[in-house]
Amino acid sequence: MKFGVGQPVPRLEDPRLITGSGRFTDDVNLPDQLYMAIARSPYPHGSIASIDTDAAEAAAGVVAVYTAADIESLGGMPCRAVLKDRQGNPCFIPKRPLLAEGRVRFVGEPVAAVVARTRTEARDAAELVLLEVEDLPAVVDLNAAAAAEATVLHEAHGSNLAIHYENGDEAAWEAAAAAAAHRVQVSLVNNRVAPSPLEPRAAVGHYANGTFTLYNPSQGAFAQQGVLARAIFDEPLESIRVISGETGGGFGIRGEVHPEAALTLFASRALGAPVKWHGDRSEMFLSDSHGRDNLTRADLALDESGRALGVRIETLANLGAYCSAVGPFVPTMAGGRVVGTVYRLPALYHSVRCLYTNTMPVAAYRGAGRPEACYVMERLMDEAARQLGIGRDEIRRRNFIPSSAMPFVNHSGVSISSGEFEATMDLALERADWAGFERRRRRSEGLGRLRGIGLGYYVESSGGGPEEEARVRIHPDGSAEVIVGTYSHGQGHETAFAQILSDTFGIEFDKIRFIQGDTAFVKFGGGTGGSRSSQMGGIAVKRAGEGVIEQGRAVAAELLQSEPGRVTYEAAVYRLDDASAQVSLADVARAAETAQFGGEGLAETHRYDRGAGTYTFPNGAHVAEVEIDPDTGVLHICRYTAVDDCGRVINPLLAAGQVHGGVVQGLGQALLENVVYDTDGQLLTGSFLDYAMPFADAMPDVDVSFNEVLDPNNELGVKGIGEGGACGAPPALVNAALHALASRGVTAIDMPLTPEKLWRAANGLSLQERAG
Amino acid sequence: MRYEAPSSSKEAAKLLASAKGKAVVLAGGTDLLVRMKSGAVEPDLIVDIKRIGATQEIKKSGNGFKIGAGVSGARLGKHRALKKAWPGVVEATNLIGSDQIQGRCTMAGNLCNASPAADSVPAMVAANAKANVVGPGGRRTVAVEKIPTGPGKTSLKKGEIIESITLPAKAPRSGDAYLRFIPRTEMDIAVVSAGVNLTLDSKGVVKKARVALGAVAPTVLLVEDAAKAIVGTKLDDDALAALAAACEAACRPIDDMRGTIEFRTEVAGVLARRAALTAYERAGGKK
Repeated sequence: MKFGVGQPVPRLEDPRLITGSGRFTDDVNLPDQLYMAIARSPYPHGSIASIDTDAAEAAAGVVAVYTAADIESLGGMPCRAVLKDRQGNPCFIPKRPLLAEGRVRFVGEPVAAVVARTRTEARDAAELVLLEVEDLPAVVDLNAAAAAEATVLHEAHGSNLAIHYENGDEAAWEAAAAAAAHRVQVSLVNNRVAPSPLEPRAAVGHYANGTFTLYNPSQGAFAQQGVLARAIFDEPLESIRVISGETGGGFGIRGEVHPEAALTLFASRALGAPVKWHGDRSEMFLSDSHGRDNLTRADLALDESGRALGVRIETLANLGAYCSAVGPFVPTMAGGRVVGTVYRLPALYHSVRCLYTNTMPVAAYRGAGRPEACYVMERLMDEAARQLGIGRDEIRRRNFIPSSAMPFVNHSGVSISSGEFEATMDLALERADWAGFERRRRRSEGLGRLRGIGLGYYVESSGGGPEEEARVRIHPDGSAEVIVGTYSHGQGHETAFAQILSDTFGIEFDKIRFIQGDTAFVKFGGGTGGSRSSQMGGIAVKRAGEGVIEQGRAVAAELLQSEPGRVTYEAAVYRLDDASAQVSLADVARAAETAQFGGEGLAETHRYDRGAGTYTFPNGAHVAEVEIDPDTGVLHICRYTAVDDCGRVINPLLAAGQVHGGVVQGLGQALLENVVYDTDGQLLTGSFLDYAMPFADAMPDVDVSFNEVLDPNNELGVKGIGEGGACGAPPALVNAALHALASRGVTAIDMPLTPEKLWRAANGLSLQERAG
Repeated sequence: MRYEAPSSSKEAAKLLASAKGKAVVLAGGTDLLVRMKSGAVEPDLIVDIKRIGATQEIKKSGNGFKIGAGVSGARLGKHRALKKAWPGVVEATNLIGSDQIQGRCTMAGNLCNASPAADSVPAMVAANAKANVVGPGGRRTVAVEKIPTGPGKTSLKKGEIIESITLPAKAPRSGDAYLRFIPRTEMDIAVVSAGVNLTLDSKGVVKKARVALGAVAPTVLLVEDAAKAIVGTKLDDDALAALAAACEAACRPIDDMRGTIEFRTEVAGVLARRAALTAYERAGGKK
């Protein structure tokens, strides 16, 4: 089957996207629409003394100006994390208002919304909103936020600690540590990044005839509908329609409802006209959710032969000023599900303190907690190998969970269903010519450059919400229509799901129509995030398709005057088992629309339930090889090898694309990307000049291959591939750089590995680039 | 806001000299338009110099190349004779911005924007380029290093424009090179940069040298001590070390998120050394 599962089918969506005919939110313009602009806080922390909107209201073209006092009827932006600490105390989650209430807590926090006739008028008027605050000290640094004397962001709570999450057994760890022949410690920074989807956020809100319609980029319209209806507007679900056309990248942060989107709906209802908002790039740096931002100390206990006895991992995690939609879930449970990653660890203690600071809230970003968890273990393994004088591949070999131990229940009680970690690593080592490295290193040395090679093994727990829904209908012309609750914002579901249905029905690929991202059609769905679409949407689509075939079999049996048990289905034709008669899928669909067969047509809605607490476990071995110029600190990535186990590969082109994207984002974090607030809480990285995202020409050709170990718990055998690259690349790259710098006596370095940092490390200078 | 596009430099100078309020010159516009869009500057008068014939020409003569103030980076990059004579200057100019910016940006604009990190300027200074200035008082010729006086400030008087830039005729056995350091590979502003221009004698000994550094002081620096360190040598290791040391001694950089004083200072020496080696090779010197 040319277009079936496993085939490298080119993306159906590409012609539309590359010829500019995709319809993004900014392409939506409604008659008589007004424009909104947001006045944002220039102060990191302060009590609001006054917000003077007189000048803004009097400005040309201005229709309305709203502050918190005007939107009291609206709820705040909810956080769906449900966490308790060991004593049973719930996580402290403060209200996150759409517009600042009483205090401003980060630079860029929305303070007022200005609506005017044109975008320029709105923006000009927004600059006239006068915010006066009584300054409060800004809390930026994680250690400072945790200190007893720290200024408290949310006064009622009494400290900046949202929750102290703990997992594992501290006493068991202590015992393991006491018995250990070796102890290896690392202290790590997982740097804050700005995910920066290429499409800046936009929203068009339209209230008419008692119904709200919101056009905005998302990772799934249904989830947004629920948040808007329940948490923000307190209106029935059906009174809000969310439409996401094309979305130019999500990476986790488009999975939430943002204040501007809700405000366009509010303003539209108040003003009786559609309201459009469109953020620019600088605004995105200030007000798009950030990712990562952890400080971690980890301690690994090993026996004489380098086998791990236990690990202790203690993290301070930055939440920002409020909780994002997932907030404290990311550094605790999301990453915690795979704490210890792919290694057997008889004892484990995991502690995470989630803290509020005067910075933009941190949300889920490609991998969301898992890249952080993998980075810790991979840095520990390399450091252990160095200290014990064991090969870096060998120490992993000695500690991997063997495939014979699957399913393996880890310290979080999560059952890792499958994986061949050693075999996958060996494939990667072979493709990367790990064994031939020394020859290449000598060549680099002759040119005055430091060469290194590094490994990053990752495992994820994927799947997100355990339920997903798909509806498949066969039209009387024999074509299929599929509506699904996942949401492709670049991943290529239109292609992948058509491949699955093409396989299921044996119909041609181009006869399948794909619908997503509009709550008028999508009545349920978890959207796309957490590498869940192939395993959740894919299964739901497949089963809905199979349900349609079964329904059709009953109709066909009647048409053929026989029993369903005697009717076979293949390639859009139902036949009697003795091949004496047949009827086409199209004929069956037509018949199903008649009163005789209930008139409902041939359609099936399937809600797939994976089962709470179950996940899939994409994993893989990534190998980076680098060369560093010690005189300038410039690092060149000579070679990059990724061997991923994402279960069954539905489409190798799409899967490789996901690996490329994930790897490049991981390398960006490892090499260049860093959100910097100064000690006063001002954002220093407010543009792509100061926030360095890598360019394509600095990225290596990624050698992508797969070790397909099928997931035993779903019939497609898929695991997910969206986030692995972002998990594998940072440790592979940093371990390679440390390997290169080993000859200069360097044993630790933190991301991002900017040229200056590498230059300092290579030349024995203090790694502190600047005071403060 | 008034927009004028005169057809002669004299007329442009007259318009600028008699302007009331903020008057600006528009060539490629890659700096000006961005500043206007962001509201950083609100000019009362814009004088577009692209309709002036002399600003659009690249003229080769016995005295070298006269490059009009409106000639884009992309055009320079396609000019074979110029690239052959002054590869360092052309490469430096071609580093400015993206491909799209290259279609508009100019050497003269880069000079007048007066950023200490301007890419084409150290290369022009090393090349001993001259700016041909037209003003209400007539014409004058100024060494390019005398144009910027500090970040965003130039020595041009009210009414004066740069009509063109002259690069001298290439001396036999000479070569130039420019290198910059940026954290990424392109579309970035130099954290530190170096331009070197050398002339050798028949034995491969450096006879004349000019060394310029960017982004290490309020203006691009012409470092005479660095030139002295290599004149009379064949760029042996000691000479290169002395060159680097002289460059480091001349640096007075700022400390910011993009680079520390320490880094900029030391890498200035590294880049000067590497640029000198490239220039030496281009001059026909053999190591």
